[in-house]
Amino acid sequence: MPATRWLTSIAIGAAVTLPLLTGAHAQVKEATAPAATRATRTPAPADAYVYIGWPNDGEVLHRRRFKIWFGTRNFGVAPAGVTKANTGHHHLLIDTGLPPLDEPIPNDKNHLHFGAGQTETYIELPPGTHTLQLIMGDADHVPHDPPLVSKKITIRVQ
Amino acid sequence: MNRFCCIVAASALIGLAANSATSAEPLPEGTHAYIIWPMDGATIPSGKFWLRMGLSGAGIAPAGINRPNTGHHHVVIDADLPPPGEPIPNDKKHLHFGAGQTEARIELPPGRHTIQLVLGDADHIPQNPPIVSKKITVIVPQ
Repeated sequence: MPATRWLTSIAIGAAVTLPLLTGAHAQVKEATAPAATRATRTPAPADAYVYIGWPNDGEVLHRRRFKIWFGTRNFGVAPAGVTKANTGHHHLLIDTGLPPLDEPIPNDKNHLHFGAGQTETYIELPPGTHTLQLIMGDADHVPHDPPLVSKKITIRVQ
Repeated sequence: MNRFCCIVAASALIGLAANSATSAEPLPEGTHAYIIWPMDGATIPSGKFWLRMGLSGAGIAPAGINRPNTGHHHVVIDADLPPPGEPIPNDKKHLHFGAGQTEARIELPPGRHTIQLVLGDADHIPQNPPIVSKKITVIVPQ
């Protein structure tokens, strides 16, 4: 692993437990430094998939802080830094599109990392319409091949 | 003499088990496991379903991975909780999800069945205190 990539992994690793406790506002901007791209990504089985268990697509929420649970099928969860076939950890994309698939997923308020192996979280969002989407990352936060991406859902916070 | 040796050996084994039991570190206070689906009392006509396992306050790590504040799910079907401090049995009433799964395909014959989750550490030993879900009942009609 190139030194730059290693350092980036460490920086992201240091930030991964923040989202669980502090929600969408937790961020470590330093961790978004661009990293070296990788020629081969960690393979994922064809029947694996990821979904947002709750909220449902189109849900109207009457509170700003709410729980999201992450679903995976035919695939396992492992903390960041753990290299094991058919596992990965969740990343929650808020109000943004998919990141580049051949490099570590950014770590900022639009890209929350769950590198401690969490399968749910609480987030707080301002009133308005928001999109949520999950994407799995491997031990180094790089999406799998094929990428394990949930449906992108839209919710409205009142 | 032979009997004495056996007793010593057995004591040593018990000692080992006790040591490994105390190595299971507690998870953060408030951590709890729960069955997301099915609901307690649900009727499942086919007897086949995806069990969804929830964990609040800690993370999932596959078996064999020693990482603080993590564990992996075990599903206890039609049985009481296994004894604390020793590896959870691995049989048809105690299903292991050591690959870090959070969903499991379950097939049950007609009748009433109980389902309960218990978290295990890297060595399949329940944490101390144990993280267990509510024991739910599902009904599979004839």
